[in-house]
Order: sequence, then structure tokens, then C-alpha cells
Amino acid sequence: MNKGFQHIARFIILVAIQVLVLNNVQISGYLNPYVYILFIMLLPPKLPKALVLILAFVMGFTIDIFSDSYGIHTAASVLLAYIRPSILSLVSVKGGEDLEDISIKQLNFGRFFTYSGILCLIHHFTLFYLEAFRLNEFLDTFTRALFSTAISLLLILMIESLRSNPQKR
Amino acid sequence: MGMLIQSHYYQASRFASSSNAWSGQILEQFRNSTDYLSLKKMNHLLAEENALLKNRAQESVGQIAPLKKGQYEYISAKIIKNSYNKRNNYLTINKGSVHGIENGMGVCVNDGVIGIIRDVTQHYATIMSVLNKNTVISTRFAKSNYFGELHWDGKSHQFAQLHSIEKYVDVSIGDSLITNSFSSIFPEGISLGTVNRFQIDETENFYTIEVDLSVDFSNIDYVYVIKDMLKEERLELESKENE
Repeated sequence: MNKGFQHIARFIILVAIQVLVLNNVQISGYLNPYVYILFIMLLPPKLPKALVLILAFVMGFTIDIFSDSYGIHTAASVLLAYIRPSILSLVSVKGGEDLEDISIKQLNFGRFFTYSGILCLIHHFTLFYLEAFRLNEFLDTFTRALFSTAISLLLILMIESLRSNPQKR
Repeated sequence: MGMLIQSHYYQASRFASSSNAWSGQILEQFRNSTDYLSLKKMNHLLAEENALLKNRAQESVGQIAPLKKGQYEYISAKIIKNSYNKRNNYLTINKGSVHGIENGMGVCVNDGVIGIIRDVTQHYATIMSVLNKNTVISTRFAKSNYFGELHWDGKSHQFAQLHSIEKYVDVSIGDSLITNSFSSIFPEGISLGTVNRFQIDETENFYTIEVDLSVDFSNIDYVYVIKDMLKEERLELESKENE
């Protein structure tokens, strides 16, 4: 029950950070960091896959409503949720079944970096290509997606290490 | 092709946009709480605009009254969500259908065009910005009547691209570009920007013109929505032409 509440709180905080802060912060007019995907990344591995897909849909749809992006965040988030199990089995032996939840502490930094890095990359490339939806802007979209992934990943790792550190000290 | 896509999905998307009641309210509350930070700048802008309008009012004394008196009505609105660094940008304002705002109306500020109204709810509306791949604005040179289409390539929020200007037209850097009266979205003569750079390919018949936009999209607080009172009359007449 307590865990469930934690995830709801995380949902609200990440939506607020994304919509009220990051959507207004403009980095060189070219980069759009998206950290709300951390919510989907941190869902417990034991959660039924269907529920993860539904939660990813709700998250994506909420972001879509606030940023007037007409479904692209929903599409990219659901794709992220769909491929999450295969990336999880890449970084842990039993496909994450032995993990209580996902964090830097549980996975160690290197494996968490790989996990969030791959998911972030796939999410951002889906998102930016759906947004542009034009092949003649292929290269522009590519650089945009690549640099935004770097910024998002940096923010995600910062939030995640802040989140899992206080207990250690 | 952009026009085709544009025309049929706005009805369905109305709910899933930031102009719906609760997301609009959240964005407005947040905007209100950070408003006081820009009060000084706002005052300055309003004073400048006031001075400009006073000068204009003096000039027009003694001139012949325009034939179509009061064709356009301006509704002022506050931006509650701005966006300019995405491929397709939408802004949200705090006025909606109860204030007389309708889909397809033009939006401008004192120094230039912002975009076109897209989704409208009771108290909020979203604007499809000039900085959007679906936005096409009919544009002409202030010094001549040659016209073209203004598009945005998604690269910088300061520059847009003007297409379909044929190569025999005399173009020079710094020429100002304004809206023309071909559509009933914008009245004629609202500033869009100036020619920043242009080139012409040997093989093509058209210029590629880069336009320095007159509006700083990173810094907009209040806008005017333009209501054309004679729009229906005009559309009725034009639909007869097509028969």
C-alpha cells in the first residue's frame, strides 16, 4: 500500500516537474528534456505487464494534454513500457524477477545507466521522429533527439542518485 | 498537403489539449503565481504601445474614414502556456468561446503575427504558432504586391522561410514582409519580419528567403485575437465563385 502511494506521488511530482518547469526551460532552443519517463522506468519489475502498459499510457496521455502534442508522448511511452522487460533481462540475470524494485542501489550504477540509457534513447527517437514526421528533416531530427537524450539521461541519473542516496548517509 | 491534414483532426483532439478545463486551470494558476516577475517589463511595453497608438490616432484625424469601419475587433488575452522549441509549437491563452473566440482566428501582438487559433473551449483556447510545421501564412512584400507562403523549418525560433517568390522579383536584405488580405484570418499589413538572407538556385525558379521574425517568441505575455466581422459575408461570396 505504502509502495503504491510512493508511485502515485512520483507520478504527480514528475508530471509537475515536466509540465511546469522543464516545458518552460528552453535550452538553446533545440533541446527538450523529458524526465517523466523515469516513472515508467522505476515501476516494480513484478508488476503485471498489462498494468505497466496502462500506466505508461496514462502518463503519456497526461503529458500530451499539457504540452499539446496530440498523442506522440502516449505512443512513445507505451513503446517504452513494451520493451522495458527485454531491456531488464539485458541488465539482470533473471529478467528482473529477483529485484524488489529498480534503483541505482539495486542494480548498481553501470547497469542502471545501461537500462535507463537504452530506454531513454528509444523513447526520444520515437518521440522526435513522430513529431517531425518528415523524412527530409531526418538529420535535424536526429541531432535534436540525440542531444535531448543526453540531457534527459543526465537529469534522470541526477534525480535517481538524489533519490537513492539519503538512506546511505 | 499541410492544409489537408490540418483541417480534419482538430475536432477529435479538442479534449486532449491544454485548453481543456482542468489542465487550463492548472497552467493558468501557475502562470498567475509567476506573473509579478514580469510586471516591470509589461508596464514598459504597454507604455510604448500606448504612445504608438496615440501617434496613430493623431495622424488619422482629418483623413477620410475607412469604408469598412470597424471590420476587425481585437480581443486581448493572456498567454498561460508558451512553447517555441519544439517542432510543432502551440500556445494556450486564457480566453475562450464565452469571450467570442473561434477556431481559425488570427492572433498577433503589437509587433507581429503569433499564429492561428486552433482548439477552443469555454474559457481557454490554443494557438497554432507560426513556429509549427502545419502553419502556412500568406505573406507579401510591403514595398510591392508580390506574395508567397511563410513556413517554418523547425530550426530557430527567430527565423522562418518564405517560399514561392519567383526569381524575377526584386528582393533585397532588410525588405519588410507583411500579411496580405487574401484570407480573412489577418487584416492586411501586420508585420511578419524582414528579409535576413536569400538565395536562388540556377535550376529553380523560386527564391529561398530566410525571414527574421519580428516577434520574439521566447518572450510573449499578452496577445490580441483578431475577429473579422465580415468573414461570413466574404466566405459566402467566395463559395459562389467555386460553383
